[in-house]
Amino acid sequence: MRIRSVVSLLVALLAASAASLPAFEPDVVKAVRRTAAAVPPGAFREGEVIVSFRAAAEPRDVERDLRSGGAREVHRSRAGSRYLVLLDPGTTVAAAVQRFAAMPEVEYAEPNGLVHRSAGTTFTPNDRYYKYQWNLTQLNAERTWGIQKGKTTVAVAVLDSGVAYEDYTDPRTGAVYAKAPDWGDTVFLPGYDFVNDDAHPNDDEFHGTHVASTVAEATNNALGVAGFAFGCAIMPVKVLDQDGVGSFFALAEGIDYAIGYQQGGVSPVKVINLSLGTESYSETVKQAVDRAVAKGVLVVAAAGNSGKGVVDFPASLPTVVAVGALDERKERAFYSNTGADLDLMAPGGNCDRDDDNDGEPDCVFQQMPDPDFVAQGIYTQFCYCGLDGTSMATPHVAAAAALLFSQGFADPAAVRAALEQTAERLGGAPAGGRNDTYGNGLIRPANALPGLGLDQGPVQ
Amino acid sequence: VTPRAFVSVAAVLLGAAAVPVRAGEIAVEGQVGYFDMAASNSASAVFGSTGGVTYGGAVRYSFARAFFVSAGVRTFSKDGERVFVATPTSVVSKLGFPLSVRITPIFLNVGYRFRQGKMLVPYVGIGGSINQYKETSEVAGQGFSETSSKGGFLGLAGLEVGRGLLRFGAEASYATVPNAVGLGGVSKVYGENNLGGFTVVGKLALAFGGK
Repeated sequence: MRIRSVVSLLVALLAASAASLPAFEPDVVKAVRRTAAAVPPGAFREGEVIVSFRAAAEPRDVERDLRSGGAREVHRSRAGSRYLVLLDPGTTVAAAVQRFAAMPEVEYAEPNGLVHRSAGTTFTPNDRYYKYQWNLTQLNAERTWGIQKGKTTVAVAVLDSGVAYEDYTDPRTGAVYAKAPDWGDTVFLPGYDFVNDDAHPNDDEFHGTHVASTVAEATNNALGVAGFAFGCAIMPVKVLDQDGVGSFFALAEGIDYAIGYQQGGVSPVKVINLSLGTESYSETVKQAVDRAVAKGVLVVAAAGNSGKGVVDFPASLPTVVAVGALDERKERAFYSNTGADLDLMAPGGNCDRDDDNDGEPDCVFQQMPDPDFVAQGIYTQFCYCGLDGTSMATPHVAAAAALLFSQGFADPAAVRAALEQTAERLGGAPAGGRNDTYGNGLIRPANALPGLGLDQGPVQ
Repeated sequence: VTPRAFVSVAAVLLGAAAVPVRAGEIAVEGQVGYFDMAASNSASAVFGSTGGVTYGGAVRYSFARAFFVSAGVRTFSKDGERVFVATPTSVVSKLGFPLSVRITPIFLNVGYRFRQGKMLVPYVGIGGSINQYKETSEVAGQGFSETSSKGGFLGLAGLEVGRGLLRFGAEASYATVPNAVGLGGVSKVYGENNLGGFTVVGKLALAFGGK
């Protein structure tokens, strides 16, 4: 796991009087380095297991099993027969899993494992705007926008640490949240916070806001930086806590929430962005992903930042588009995982390099809560900060997918096929082929959007 | 069928027609009808239907009482939109970018007219064709154009009514134009490479000479 971040153009929102004053102070450039919370492989929440009962199980049998299995408290999933079981003190997770798994009514039981964000570990200041978004240049964004800017009827659910999308004071904790300054007219669908169990998925870290901004930060508003599918809507779903860590149960709940949301009988969420991962497997998450795919939603996930030859879960699922990271040179970023499950590449950056010689590190720059203030429990100060990681690459693919859905692509299989067929092959991969280092290559949404003629192939 | 081969065959046929046993009949025909594309899945995806109106004209020369050669041209054009199809069984995504296709076969046929000189004259024939294909589309201000020319074969059968100057008729034909499409686009996805298809036309002819 890796976070490399750059604090740039520190946006000092004037707290109480912000509404009537210019939102920005003169640029303050500072470098901040911090280490991300590490989650070791196979880590799980102590005292918690996920138990899924068979559909035919009688309620009284379920209750009996939960009690005899050592449940101190249970939380029933919105999806139905799935339970998060909080165990009696003294009952180990391993013993509980074994006990539940042996019960005939139980479909499966597993530890409530942990996923974590897939971003870099440091950030460097930046006080410049669109011209420093080499990542968008790499994707031929201007041509892409000439074809499609996105539609608000298409939403990307960002399952992450939350999004700074509203001005809100939490009545329980007193924490004050503010809407990030460069959202403009970006549409937000009602989301949910599965970490704190409320309907206000604000960002008490920074990762989720950065990811969401890559998708749909306000663009062409003479402020800040651009988002790649800025005409599309965002659904903020908080599944990671302030340390960037979340549980399998919360992740599955978030997926089910996103795909269950309807507006006028229509499901606007067409893409789920998972800039997170783990080296462990979860049946709970896998089944939630399967439900999402069955509902016509494209699930995009980060390949992971260990530099290993295997892709993180859930990106490793065949139903999920696994995204690796490129640097400005279109070379695989050193941290980006590889392997047979890798599908596509997108700009994820490398904050240690400045290959475009613009005087700024080649991070991905977006708006987000200023980490210096977040560390003090202040969520109302923002910066245009640079991060690198497969977390940053993933929302580029999610945004590209949202643009294709906006153009009229009918289903996730079509979107995925179009992105893969039109990708720029890298690392010596043959036309139409792939390799384990770059998958199918760098997405070229401007080539995917035109689709096919009767005899005219993909635009190259 | 290469253009050179087509021209060679045409020359032989015209040469044969040039030495009739008896004085021949020349007819000038106008044709209008319906063309149904053999690449039906591709056509359905792009146009929403498999065919459309075709029209054209031909000159027929009958010789040795019953044989004839004819040469002519038809054109078929249809407007649709660019689409995306992932696999032959997947849903067609309509993308809204306008697309037009024009197919123009230039054909040379040879055939036999039964009951020549009667009121109802059935006839059959075979022939070759050179098929011009042009596909154009536009995506957000950027134009795409593709043209090609491929040879093909056809078989036809028809019925002509009338004995005087003015004749009416109907003709059905099936043309195969292999390897004309299918290198890209939805035709590649569906594995369809035949640009030919079934055509039925009504004819109005002015006939001169003969007997």
